[in-house]
Amino acid sequence: MDRTNSIRGLDYLIFGLTVFLIFCSIFESQLQLPNLVAWLGRWHPLVLHFPIVLLLIAIFLGLTGKNIPYVLLTAATLSALITAVTGFMLGIEASSKGDLLQWHQWLGTAVALLSVLWYWIFTSVAKRPILQKIIQVFLLITVIFAGHYGGMVTHGEDFLAIPNKKNKKIEIPENPLIYSHIVQPILDDKCVSCHNPNKKKGELLLTDFLALQEGGENGVIIDKTNLNNSELLNRLHLPLKDEDHMPPEGKPQLNEDELIIIERWVALGASDTLQLNQLSNNDILVPIINKLKNPKKKKSWADLPEVDDETIEKLNSDYINITRIASKSNALNVLVFSPPTYSDSLFMLLQPISKNTVQLDASELPLSEIAINIIAQFKNLEWLELDKTPITDVEVEKLKPLTKLEILKVYNTAITDKSIAVIENFHNLKSLFVTETKITKTRLDEFKKTNPDVVVEDGIDKEIEEFFTQKDTATVEEK
Amino acid sequence: MDDDNKKSEDPLKINRRHFFSQLSVGIGSLALGSLLIPDLFSSKDPGLITHQLGIPQFAPKAKRIIYLFQAGAPSQLESFDYKPTLKKRMGEDLPDSIRNGQRLTGMTSGQDKFPLMPSAVNFKQYGKSGAWVSDFFPHIGKIADELCFVKSMHTEAINHDPAITFFQTGSQQSGRPSMGSWMSYGLGSENKNLPSFVVLTSRGKGNSQGLYSKLWSSGFLDSKHQGVLLRSGKDPVLYLNDPDGLSRSDKRHLLDNVSSLNKIHHVDTGDDEIESRIAQYEMAYRMQMSVPDVMDIKQEPEHIIKLYGEDCQVPGTYAANALQARRLAENGVRFIQLYHQGWDQHGGLPHEMAGQAKDVDQASAALILDLKQRGMLEDTLVVWGGEFGRTNYCQGNFDPKNYGRDHHPRAFSIWMAGGGIKPGITYGKTDEFGYNVVENPVHINDFHATLMHAMGINHEELTYKYQGRRFRLTDVAGDVVKDILT
Repeated sequence: MDRTNSIRGLDYLIFGLTVFLIFCSIFESQLQLPNLVAWLGRWHPLVLHFPIVLLLIAIFLGLTGKNIPYVLLTAATLSALITAVTGFMLGIEASSKGDLLQWHQWLGTAVALLSVLWYWIFTSVAKRPILQKIIQVFLLITVIFAGHYGGMVTHGEDFLAIPNKKNKKIEIPENPLIYSHIVQPILDDKCVSCHNPNKKKGELLLTDFLALQEGGENGVIIDKTNLNNSELLNRLHLPLKDEDHMPPEGKPQLNEDELIIIERWVALGASDTLQLNQLSNNDILVPIINKLKNPKKKKSWADLPEVDDETIEKLNSDYINITRIASKSNALNVLVFSPPTYSDSLFMLLQPISKNTVQLDASELPLSEIAINIIAQFKNLEWLELDKTPITDVEVEKLKPLTKLEILKVYNTAITDKSIAVIENFHNLKSLFVTETKITKTRLDEFKKTNPDVVVEDGIDKEIEEFFTQKDTATVEEK
Repeated sequence: MDDDNKKSEDPLKINRRHFFSQLSVGIGSLALGSLLIPDLFSSKDPGLITHQLGIPQFAPKAKRIIYLFQAGAPSQLESFDYKPTLKKRMGEDLPDSIRNGQRLTGMTSGQDKFPLMPSAVNFKQYGKSGAWVSDFFPHIGKIADELCFVKSMHTEAINHDPAITFFQTGSQQSGRPSMGSWMSYGLGSENKNLPSFVVLTSRGKGNSQGLYSKLWSSGFLDSKHQGVLLRSGKDPVLYLNDPDGLSRSDKRHLLDNVSSLNKIHHVDTGDDEIESRIAQYEMAYRMQMSVPDVMDIKQEPEHIIKLYGEDCQVPGTYAANALQARRLAENGVRFIQLYHQGWDQHGGLPHEMAGQAKDVDQASAALILDLKQRGMLEDTLVVWGGEFGRTNYCQGNFDPKNYGRDHHPRAFSIWMAGGGIKPGITYGKTDEFGYNVVENPVHINDFHATLMHAMGINHEELTYKYQGRRFRLTDVAGDVVKDILT
């Protein structure tokens, strides 16, 4: 008797909760919850795991034709109802709901009501196995989607997206807008997962410039009258342990550069029209933004083919030194020193690592055509030293495919203006060393003009050199 | 009790109870041990470093270092740290608030007055960076825009030997491996035909302090990391050349036979030191060819000779060593250490320092220009500096034309260039008396950490276990000075 009584009690409880849930769904907009009840909503993230697991087990048993224990289904249904009700309470706290939250709410309600329906049929006299199966399938789908949308509300929409660096990184233009191209991506990365229309923590949106101006429940976050005392900065600077520190402990934090960027942008007036070229050259932001514009080399090296230690060791000899640029990197630095008997065939040995070699020093070697042809296949070369070699314009012409070159040393060679035409096509070039070549001054000046970013070294400044060669150091005055 | 003692004396005679009670203590202490030392039971040896030796841990900015060490401690007040206040307050006693209890050496602790002494030499501002450089160093002034002056160096040592040992090995007490040895240990050699750590010495006319081979010793590291002192003159490396009557092919034959005998012994004993000895013999053999070639300055064209100054044709001068340093760097020597002695000006400073400066000014600056035009400043880091600074008050008689300065560890200046160091900047600041660091202090440990960082080494991770504990160049201190890195 006791047992049937308690089952009765459970039936009433489920019935009551269902009615309450439907009531909530209908009168959601008019509901005002007392604080304590609102607090119950905070349990939603905790209890939501129970119905997911319990329902999935029950569905699995049902669909595979096994017996579903009564207790299991009861617990699943009850927890689904409690989760849905607490979800409503939590949802009422949010001031405005985004699409995601709306979807999650209705799907969650559907899960609860479907499980009640299932429970009802399961406990009734007519068991209707077909209908039960249909409900199970529907329930499976709604559980998955409700859970997925819920996950997106908490963790951000692309939480489950396959990581794809290329898509995520927006190309930063040559003269970026400080706000749109630099600051907002940081906010998107580190803040927006909690301050978006679906999950407006602290009533604050950080999704666009207007929202930033508006601020949140504690007022504006950028104080135009006292920029450096803006709430945005204050929160970032609080110690990590502080409850008000942002982003909260445990979430990805802003790194040093990002902190400086936000701080400086606010200090400069937090404008959305400010551009890089409006900053003074020694502004602290300039080097940081330039660094962002040219993402670290490491990334491009990550695409290099694997090269194992054995290959490197095998190719290393008394006159060839091959090392990884850094441990675990597949980028190689290759130095070739002149052996007593040199022949170009030395370079043929290097062919297995032609794609991995990013730095090659072949200076002072009596290189000829074969060696140059091989070097021209080292497509990933960023640093090439061919100084003091017998190369001419013909050889430089062959190096055309080496478009990744950043540093090129060809001093003490017989190259002429013709080579400059080839070198001009190395768009990644940063430094060029052409002291003691046959390149004319006018051609070089022209090159410098069209490539102001390239550091061109064509010998010691005449005035300084004269100072060194003329002035006898013995005349230093003694006082 | 007696019975119990007897039982425990014989390890096999224990009853069941005894066994279990002992066992619980044993397991308990094992558990406690594993809690206290987390990797107690892990199979990896914590003494071994986790990354591969011979490879930078991250992409380096510098591949080699040329260290122009000015032994004896050149005065910062007559070189790069311009202090006009000293002129205004010339002869006044050093305020106690500035000295702040600084201990003094026995050479001036007896003085009852510490009169402030301004620089006898004038200063000028140079280049776009507007760096102040004294007239002792006009050439260095000309290239000031290539340099990063650090004016806030400080050390703990107050006497030459501990101070220079500290600079070279990271410890005031001798016995630790030298900086160059650590680099060789961490990064290996670029050119297997030359040592990875080379030392060149020269001596000026000024008051000198001794240099000892312990400064370039490999300490507890493998002896192949030791600095090789290249001498000036006919035999740069002693005993490298074959005796008369022994041909190169005979030598080859000899080495092959010796090494096959050594290999047999290696198989028998498994001693790795034998292998490194075989390698050393082979390297010496190759050095017979490579060293004379690298050391032959006559190959240098006229304009380069003029750039470094005519001095560089005289073997054993600082200028010759500076030019040599460039040639060694070109040939893949990892760490090139120059020492120039004679900077210890306790008296007669204006005259002596002028001579010292004349020795090094042009050649140091020429080295930078030469490296720059060859694109070598991209990956070669040059350091210029002594082991500590000198006092802002005068030692001995107060004579603005002929004075001395005592040792001063609290603040001094060095400069660096190339290899991932920002050019044309000044880092750190001293007070108006040039006595204390007031901004961005850089300790020797920080300096070491920064150098290692530029070379692609995390100074906290390059360790060597010796006598039961792990050592590093910076031992238990040191922060990378990020502000001076590009």
